[in-house]
Amino acid sequence: MAKALGLDKLVNFFRSIKHNGGILGSLRTLYRVDELKFGDLIGEDKYGNKYYENNMYFYGRNRWVIYSPRVHMNYDASQVPAEWYGWLHYKTDLPPFKDPSRPKYKWMVDHTPNLSGTNKAYMPYSTVKTKIQAWQPKD
Amino acid sequence: MLRLPLFRAISRSNGRLTSAVCFHNSAANQQQPQQQPELIELFIDDKPVQVPPGTTVLKAAAMVGVEIPRFCYHERLAIAGNCRMCLVEIEKQVKPVAACAMPVMKGWRVKTNSALTRKAREGVMEFLLVNHPLDCPICDQGGECDLQDQSMAFGNDRSRFTDINFSGKRAVEDKDLGPLIKTVMTRCIHCTRCIRFASEVAGVDDLGTTGRGNEMQVGTYVEKLFMSEVSGNIIDLCPVGALTSKPYAFVARPWENHRTDSIDVHDAVGSNIVVSHRTGEVLRILPRVNEDVNEEWLADKARFSYDGLKRQRLITPMLKIDGKLQNVEWEDALVAAARALQDLPPNKCAAIAGCMADAEVLVAVKDLVNTLDSELLTTEQEFPKSGAGVDLRSNYLLNNKIANVEHADVILLIGTNPRFEAPLVNTRIRKGYLHREQNVAVIGPKLDLTYDHENLGQSPDIISQIKSGSHPFCEVLKNAKKPMIILGADVLTRKDGDKILAETQSLCKNIEKTVKTDADWKVFNILHTNASQVTALDVGYAASLEEVKKAKPSVLFLLGADENIKKEDFGESCIIYVGSHGDNGAQIADIVLPGAAYTEKTATYVNMEGRAQLTNAAITPPGMARPDWKIIRALSEIAGHRLPYDDLHELRDRIAEIAPHLVNYGEVEPSNFLKQVYELAKTTQGSFLPDPIDIKQKSLDQFFMTNAISRASPTMAKCVQAVQKQKQV
Amino acid sequence: MAGVIVRTLSVPKRQLGLLGQLVNNQQSRSYADAAPEGKKVGGPLADEDRIFTNLYGRHDWRLKGAMKRGDWYKTKEIVEKGADWIINEIKVSGLRGRGGAGFPSGMKWSFMNKPSDGRPKYLVINGDEGEPGTCKDREILRHDPHKLIEGCLIAGRAMGACAAYIYIRGEFYNEASNTQVAIAEAYQAGLLGKNACGSGYDFDVFVQRGAGAYICGEETALIESIEGKQGKPRLKPPFPADVGLFGCPTTVTNVETVAVAPTICRRGGSWFGALGRPRNSGTKLYNISGHVNTPCTVEEEMSIPLKELIERHAGGVIGGWDNLLGIIPGGSSTPVIPKHICDTVLMDYDDLVRVQSSFGTAAVIVMNKQTDIIKAIARLISFYKHESCGQCTPCREGIAWMYKIMQRFVQGNAEVHEIDMLWELTKQIELHTICALADGAAWPVQGLIRHFRPEIESRIKNFKGQKVAVTR
Repeated sequence: MAKALGLDKLVNFFRSIKHNGGILGSLRTLYRVDELKFGDLIGEDKYGNKYYENNMYFYGRNRWVIYSPRVHMNYDASQVPAEWYGWLHYKTDLPPFKDPSRPKYKWMVDHTPNLSGTNKAYMPYSTVKTKIQAWQPKD
Repeated sequence: MLRLPLFRAISRSNGRLTSAVCFHNSAANQQQPQQQPELIELFIDDKPVQVPPGTTVLKAAAMVGVEIPRFCYHERLAIAGNCRMCLVEIEKQVKPVAACAMPVMKGWRVKTNSALTRKAREGVMEFLLVNHPLDCPICDQGGECDLQDQSMAFGNDRSRFTDINFSGKRAVEDKDLGPLIKTVMTRCIHCTRCIRFASEVAGVDDLGTTGRGNEMQVGTYVEKLFMSEVSGNIIDLCPVGALTSKPYAFVARPWENHRTDSIDVHDAVGSNIVVSHRTGEVLRILPRVNEDVNEEWLADKARFSYDGLKRQRLITPMLKIDGKLQNVEWEDALVAAARALQDLPPNKCAAIAGCMADAEVLVAVKDLVNTLDSELLTTEQEFPKSGAGVDLRSNYLLNNKIANVEHADVILLIGTNPRFEAPLVNTRIRKGYLHREQNVAVIGPKLDLTYDHENLGQSPDIISQIKSGSHPFCEVLKNAKKPMIILGADVLTRKDGDKILAETQSLCKNIEKTVKTDADWKVFNILHTNASQVTALDVGYAASLEEVKKAKPSVLFLLGADENIKKEDFGESCIIYVGSHGDNGAQIADIVLPGAAYTEKTATYVNMEGRAQLTNAAITPPGMARPDWKIIRALSEIAGHRLPYDDLHELRDRIAEIAPHLVNYGEVEPSNFLKQVYELAKTTQGSFLPDPIDIKQKSLDQFFMTNAISRASPTMAKCVQAVQKQKQV
Repeated sequence: MAGVIVRTLSVPKRQLGLLGQLVNNQQSRSYADAAPEGKKVGGPLADEDRIFTNLYGRHDWRLKGAMKRGDWYKTKEIVEKGADWIINEIKVSGLRGRGGAGFPSGMKWSFMNKPSDGRPKYLVINGDEGEPGTCKDREILRHDPHKLIEGCLIAGRAMGACAAYIYIRGEFYNEASNTQVAIAEAYQAGLLGKNACGSGYDFDVFVQRGAGAYICGEETALIESIEGKQGKPRLKPPFPADVGLFGCPTTVTNVETVAVAPTICRRGGSWFGALGRPRNSGTKLYNISGHVNTPCTVEEEMSIPLKELIERHAGGVIGGWDNLLGIIPGGSSTPVIPKHICDTVLMDYDDLVRVQSSFGTAAVIVMNKQTDIIKAIARLISFYKHESCGQCTPCREGIAWMYKIMQRFVQGNAEVHEIDMLWELTKQIELHTICALADGAAWPVQGLIRHFRPEIESRIKNFKGQKVAVTR
């Protein structure tokens, strides 16, 4: 009945607002990610990214990440660490903390996001001879 | 192989060469009065055409737009007629004739596309390919190969060379022709174009054939360097990949390259060139046809020194900090330069133009220096001030034009070696010598010219003797109809240069009085060595380095000036070097502003005959370098004397104000006032120095490295080495 | 070599195919029938009609001996009669060039007899006798040099030449030496030089030795060679009569042509013209070599039947006339003719053209049935490949290719269709070059394919059979 009248949309809207922490929080989220959703918090990684799931949304949109507030607008897909990447992309339905077979060794390095565009970006040195050889003044 | 004596015999009997002997008539030639002989009518593929008697079938066909394939025929070389590709059928004749050599007859019906003609072509093509390697994928000629093109157009579409399974093809050992020309002699089709070029145009009988029949080989008889200053042209002439450019080997395919038309600045001829480039790099330089300047030849220095454009370049502005030149930003360099220009007393700012400065920067600098109340503008090569000085153009031009050099019947060279100072003027003289019985005499040291000549001695007094009529050479001059006197620009830099100039001019005046010449035939000519010299003199630069030295300027601009400039002469000056290459000039500079080389800017150059021509920017200047005039324009704004032009068009308008002919591209402004020049010459005082007349470039090894670009070029260095090694043998 | 040149002018109608052949046949028939009153067949030459009376060197070849045989007799009067008289006499005699081309000499000489434009004129004698099988000029040069030198003076007078150059093949050392001695004698006797023979005419004769290149027998290559350049034929036009030696008008003639001229002038052109068939008049030196019992050089009348020539002078074919396979009638560059043609053919210009061969230099090469004809022709091609100057593409590349194919034909290591290909190659080579050397190389192969194709085919078959046998 409610569905027929479209009231469920309204209900979901209010749920979303509530989920995002009221009107102000919702506006902030809307500003950051351009959409409002509600769902279950599945987990949080050590960088502060939160992972949600709501199967009410259709497959493909039912799992999402809200990046850590620390990065503000500078979020990037490469900030999702490898262990959550699989869950987020439907490679597995088990979030990392529930997956027993996930390897964990001391020597595994910490996740690094893509550093392109920063001063830490990877830059290979050139092996090509310069086309133009500059003049060096004699002393 | 060559028929030159034969040609001379014909020319003697016919008075002048008829077009049967196929020498190219340049525009200048057609101006000559020539009675029109009766025309012969014939039919090419049923199209009627009327041609003068003696025209070859091939030329007649070209007149109606029928292209006959050829390999050995080249319009600027003697006819060999040995490739047999141009065979055509003529109606009622059983034998196909070689179109390149056969003079037409009245009423002939030539069939250039009949079954017999096509069969003959197919046959020749098949024979050529019998021993030609099918290595097009690894051949540098690929894409611009006559054999490739013509086998597509005229060849058979399948092979029947069954012997490839039994005995294979002929292989020929490669020859070493020096550091410029790569040879793959297996590819040679024996068209002998290179041989004919060497002995006719280059005047060096180094190339020839050895062996006969199928074992015939083109080469230098004994393995040696092809000692010519125009050797690179045989690369263009070779219809196949037998002779290719060594520096360009395996660099690029012709269809990948961008081509930009430009002008060469290594000598004052102003040869027309095409710059082939790709990905911001000049890959090679080829000649461009201009009948009035370089025909279709190019000197080796112009063709091969392009790798100098990539070495020793100035790519960042530099400032002398703590006695050392250090890389800085443009802002710092320009501010430092502008600071030096502040509060200068009059005549304390000077500029010296180098040998490759263009009209744009010359005008910009002149305007800047003039706004600073100074008139100290000079070129690095001196020119006498007395007489007409640089005020009348006739005083410093090759008045008679380059194309007319071949029409002269007597040429007197004073203090110049055209073979190395202007190789393409030299080829004109050789052409005149071969085909028009030209007499050449030289005042100067013993020279190795490419034609017989009389050496009159080294003393400048000989000019006076000829003038007064006491020298035996006067007899030759008296009988001349078209005499030319060519004075080297270098000899005028002597202390007694003004006297030599004045004496030569009065000699010319005497000759013009006694000899009946055409009204527009000019006897007095100067052969320049620097591409920028005529440009600078045209826009109002004086040519007296001494005066600038004496004035002890506070600020000195060097526009790529590297010769004759010493730090000691300008001890107190702040030297600002604007140029493309680090050479002597940049070494002594306080501020270096990196400019563009001639392939990187659109600029105006005036050649020795006064022809303004335009280079086009093929690539962008490297690093932070900028077109020279823009640097001066920016500097003027920072210094507080903003020059009134913001782009090239406004600058050209300004140039047109100073010298209208400089923007009349491709044309020669006729030089007048020669009479006044002769009159003014009388005012010159002084006497000759006792030293004999000398010439800087006497042998081939001195030819290759004469300016900043060629000195930076590794190819040119190899050439010098090769020539010196050859000399020791 | 020169033999080939004018053949290119007369023969090529054959190239027009079947139609041309018909035309040609008609023409050649009309040659013989044109003058029905003339002789039909040349016969044995009477001794009093012989011109070369010291052909075998049995007598003294020097001036004294030569004068005894009638040389230099009334030369002065002949010279004084003037150019027009001499040329007319030669025209009446019907003398045709003996170098092989067969161009009428009177007409050729008259081309030169026009007012001078200030350039001197030259007579060049072609003694570069390099054609395999030919050995007639050397007999004249070594045994009768005074006939030649006297001929030089008379021919030179006829065309107003100031000097004659005798170009002698490099291998002919003794011949050049004899000729030089004879010239020196003539000078000493006042027969040459200033006021030659006291006729008031100045004439010089020089000897120039070649360096052993066959191509230097081509007239323009010969001129180049005398000028000191590589002996490579020049383009024509301009013809040597306009621009020749040193850029001056020049006529190049064969040794034999010039050597018979004095006798013609002394005995009259009509005497000479009465010998042989009309248009093929005179006497000729024949060289008979190959499979004959007594190879020889002999002076005979023109138009003598080939069979009679061989039987009478060369002692017949080895193994008898029925053992004959084929004959190359005019030096190596002429096509071979098989026995059934040899039976009837006459030795003169027109009759040999009729049978698709050529008179050439009348160097008859006889081959009997023991000959490997393919190998023989392959050997000739090897010669032409070696002697090609290398200027023109068809000759340089084509003959070398032909040689490769011929080598395989000798073994039979080829396909039958390659015979047709070779035939086409010869067609692509002939008439497409500056000089006629390539034509001379193409024609023997054409002759071979025309008459001996079954021979080649069977050899190919045999070779294949052998190969199959071996692989089994």
